[in-house]
Amino acid sequence: MKEHPDAQYYIRGIELPETEVSTDLEPWGETRVVGKPLPRVDGYERVSGTAVYPADLTLPGMLYGAILRCPHPHAMVTAVDVRRAAAMPGVRAALTAFTPLDRATRPHADMIRTQLFDPHCRFQGEAVAAVAAETAYQARDALRAIQVQYEERPFLADERKALEPGAPQVRDSGNQAGETQVYQRGDVARGFAEADVVLDQEYRNECEIHTPMELHGCVARWDGDRLTLWESTQGVYNVQMQVAATLGMPFSLVRVVGHYMGGGFGSKLQTSKYSVVAALLAKTTARPVKLVLTREETLLAVGNRPASNMRLKAGVKRDGTITAMQFWGSGASGSEPAGGVSLLDWPVRDTYTCANVRTELTDLLINAGPARPFRAPGHPQGAWALEQMMDALAEAIGMDPVALRVRNVPTVSQARGNVPYTSTGLRQCLEQGAAAFGWDAVRAEIARQGNRGTVKRGVGVAAGLWVAGGGGPPSTAVVKIFADGSVNLNMGASDIGTGTKTVMAMVVAEELGVAPDAVEIEHADTGSTQFATGSGGSKTVPTESPAVRAAAVDVKRQLLELAAEELKVEVSTLTLRDGKVVSTQDPAVTRSLTELQGLRRRRSLTGVGYRGPNPANKAVTPFAAQFCEVEVDTASGEVRVVRFVAAHDSGRVMNQLTYQNQVFGGITMGIGFGLTEERVLDVDQTGKMANLNWHDYKLPTMLDVPADMTCVPIDPKDTECNATGAKGIGEPATIPTAAAIGNAIYHATGVRVTHTPVDPLRLVAALAERGEG
Amino acid sequence: MLPPFSYVRAQSLDEALAQLGASDTRISAGGSDLLGCLRDEVFTCSKVVSLSRLDALRGIRDDGRGGVRIGALTTIAAVASDPVINQRYPVLAQAARAVASPQLRHQGTLGGNLCQKPRCWYYRGEFHCSRKGGSTCYALAGENQFHCILGGQGCYIVHPSDTAPALVALDATVQIAGRGGTRRVPMARFHVSPRDDIRRETVLEAGEIVTAIDIPAAPRGLRSSYRKVRARGAWDFALAGVALALQFDGATVRAGRVVLSGAAPIPWRSEAVERVIIGQALTPEVAARAGDAAVEGAQPLKRNGYKVPLFRGVVREALLALAQ
Ligand SMILES: Cc1cc2nc3c(=O)[nH]c(=O)nc-3n(C[C@H](O)[C@H](O)[C@H](O)COP(=O)(O)OP(=O)(O)OC[C@H]3O[C@@H](n4cnc5c(N)ncnc54)[C@H](O)[C@@H]3O)c2cc1C
Repeated sequence: MKEHPDAQYYIRGIELPETEVSTDLEPWGETRVVGKPLPRVDGYERVSGTAVYPADLTLPGMLYGAILRCPHPHAMVTAVDVRRAAAMPGVRAALTAFTPLDRATRPHADMIRTQLFDPHCRFQGEAVAAVAAETAYQARDALRAIQVQYEERPFLADERKALEPGAPQVRDSGNQAGETQVYQRGDVARGFAEADVVLDQEYRNECEIHTPMELHGCVARWDGDRLTLWESTQGVYNVQMQVAATLGMPFSLVRVVGHYMGGGFGSKLQTSKYSVVAALLAKTTARPVKLVLTREETLLAVGNRPASNMRLKAGVKRDGTITAMQFWGSGASGSEPAGGVSLLDWPVRDTYTCANVRTELTDLLINAGPARPFRAPGHPQGAWALEQMMDALAEAIGMDPVALRVRNVPTVSQARGNVPYTSTGLRQCLEQGAAAFGWDAVRAEIARQGNRGTVKRGVGVAAGLWVAGGGGPPSTAVVKIFADGSVNLNMGASDIGTGTKTVMAMVVAEELGVAPDAVEIEHADTGSTQFATGSGGSKTVPTESPAVRAAAVDVKRQLLELAAEELKVEVSTLTLRDGKVVSTQDPAVTRSLTELQGLRRRRSLTGVGYRGPNPANKAVTPFAAQFCEVEVDTASGEVRVVRFVAAHDSGRVMNQLTYQNQVFGGITMGIGFGLTEERVLDVDQTGKMANLNWHDYKLPTMLDVPADMTCVPIDPKDTECNATGAKGIGEPATIPTAAAIGNAIYHATGVRVTHTPVDPLRLVAALAERGEG
Repeated sequence: MLPPFSYVRAQSLDEALAQLGASDTRISAGGSDLLGCLRDEVFTCSKVVSLSRLDALRGIRDDGRGGVRIGALTTIAAVASDPVINQRYPVLAQAARAVASPQLRHQGTLGGNLCQKPRCWYYRGEFHCSRKGGSTCYALAGENQFHCILGGQGCYIVHPSDTAPALVALDATVQIAGRGGTRRVPMARFHVSPRDDIRRETVLEAGEIVTAIDIPAAPRGLRSSYRKVRARGAWDFALAGVALALQFDGATVRAGRVVLSGAAPIPWRSEAVERVIIGQALTPEVAARAGDAAVEGAQPLKRNGYKVPLFRGVVREALLALAQ
């Protein structure tokens, strides 16, 4: 089976360790804990403010770091004068491209590709210098006192002009990142010839920025040669490897701790320059340094979902057979190759049955901050094109949009050489979602009532699948049970706010018969846990939960063996329940853990679990279908999203609440992508970002998100994907959202706005073009 | 980062006026706009005089002649929820409710709302534009999707306030105190067009304080409303807005004012619309003509052409809604 090279973007640049493999476990039957709507095990810490995030950490003698950033989209730094800044009160260090320490760092091939303070600044927000001072204010004041001489260069801000003759060159190698990638199966020309209807449409999405609530930041401290970083990251091991490589240090001397973090959405999978800067500032000053970026810095320099330009040509027969799809996509990586078209064509390649498919992707460079993976890279964009096209095709052949999709649900992953999926819940998502939504009834009602007034009502559907979300090795988890019956879980994975700790505690509780909040968790610390991949790709639960389950089963086995000896019964008759060893056959046979002599003597038992490989020649894929209803004011172009129904096949629901959380959060983010969010660059004049704040960069508010959201989990009882039966949910939840809204707007108004965000600016213009408004 | 400044919390209006004597001093009421400007380095100052202790400038009182006096320090939230305002001047209550977000409405004052600085992203950003003393208006050839279609010249901001158009529509008067005494300025003349002076937004002279806003008694048959269109449901300025304060005699509009927000560098009284509707019943046909009149003479820039159909539609619908 050939996997897409970008599908495992969350481990880009990481060398994965090989581990042992735990023996296969039987799938769970009825569960007692897993699947229940249990609150977060760390809910109290998070809401009471006792959870310590990196920005909360205050160490004795700690200094505050700050980074000076290039104000121009393209410039050469010819001189940096820090003398005045260095002499200011409280300032303890200043670093620039011209200080020896910067020269000592090595670019990291995958993440920090250039010199730390690269004098050739290719985007607004590139790091130019840094300071450390006694207070955050002194540090910021010092930045203002640094004098930099910039030689401005012509810039390119619009990727649509990247390949025009005479376009300013972002890099010497030109404005295209790599070759155009072509994928092909069958013969599209033949497919189009067979079609009854062929449609051809262009689509565009504007650039979206992650803007997690918690800013990017870290605290760095040296103890002799040993560096500790408290980092807001999705993967402590990612940071450890990249920082060690950049500083030329052994892994053993770099410890990264990431206990709490307040959102990343992909922008905190990789290491950023600021972490290395903090480490260097701490080293020069021999003091701990806290470095937290400002909101503006995070809007410029730590990633985005790049703008994408797409064209999709599709052919369909009257009976609903899709005969061919041809897709062209381009996008902007930013100032360096960074996945500007990553996975953009995957929805077209894999979502529906189609024998003849050809896609072409061209990744372009512009003078703007590099892209980073963003919640389902490429997929919401690809679905924006594909799912609106499906609607248009359905209309053209007079078929219901849900029916056309159901008719083309695949049973195999065509883009992976026709390997079967371990489970394919797409049909159930469409059918059960439509039933929960009342699809047929509401469409009939709208048709009957007509849509006469200025406020028009419409409904839309969109489906999707997610290329990753199956997880896989490696993962190593350790579960300890102590003589007093208390339990400790040790794992490397980060909980990025999705509830990973809660779900893993539930897995342990399921096997050991204890309450989930009795499971104490140590995690996300390279100094005290085993290797884990970054929490991204919607693969944290399917990757970690089988390893955690295996570790719990391992310790359970040891415990029951001890108990069987003491109780003089067959070990196979024993199990754990409510902190006791009990017999499945004789209620009289029971012993509390604290009374087990063998456990008392050993003080603790340790179980280790490993994540084994996924089934060979199968694809593990989450599926989704979302339905929404909108009201469009055709006089003003305002869109009110009235309700959403989201049907998801993400395998087993591990916890109803965390599952729903992901679905509602995914819809919310999809509403932002579809209706409100857009990075605006001053393309015609300065190339600088115009909406460089959290007010002009418009995230959706509570009033933009419907109160009426329903989550319909589809559990296909997948016994093949892994030992817990769970597939990923975080990313699939945001894939179809915008397209469903786009289709609903079309249903309401008859106007197809193919360019996101569909705000009143675009919608009013489109309606006016058609003579309305 | 905030510039260094000294901070004085005046105990009386006289002390505030005395403190304002020095140059380079700024008034803070709720501070919700001022601190943002200072932090973003839109301008600097060496002293901030806070009015927050001046309780005499807070509150909504009947003026004894059927009108009301609103102290400049009254919060937007207090204006929005005041029963008298809601009953007599729905346009103002609705406009206040359309401001920003709950937090900002509780922090921001009515006086501050009228005196707030423009929201143009060039003015607020790292661009040395003409309003800040530079020589370029970046909006003219730049990202001008949120800029004006009427009344621009040398500068193409839209006035950000939602309450100002409502107060212009209600024919309110601004009460101003200075060291030389007090003066009164009609709301319709309070804001300064870039055609007259590109460096200022209001007629206030250095050292002057807005103390109150007076709204005259509601004339018989007054119906009023504020409609605001924005790019998201809250915490967003107007793409287009219309404040209506019309006197009806039966179904016929006898007199009144129509004021647009999001259209021009100042709250934009649209006499063109008024001419169409006065003396008429607001039939769909009249409302449509009024919508057309609203954008008569509009000069859209490269990226804000959508505002022409938007105002046309919004003015038409707002008139029809008020007529119901
Ligand atoms: C994110 C955001 C969104 C917003 N959205 C909207 C919106 O949708 N609609 C809208 O109308 N407004 C909006 N605002 C503006 C907000 O309403 C104003 O910030 C607020 O009303 C200002 O009141 P304040 O008391 O805090 O003023 P301050 O910040 O204290 O003062 C504002 C300015 O007025 C001057 N000033 C204040 N009081 C007086 C006085 N009595 N006499 C003379 N000068 C004075 C100050 O010197 C300063 O220059 C928004 C603001 C923000 C930050």
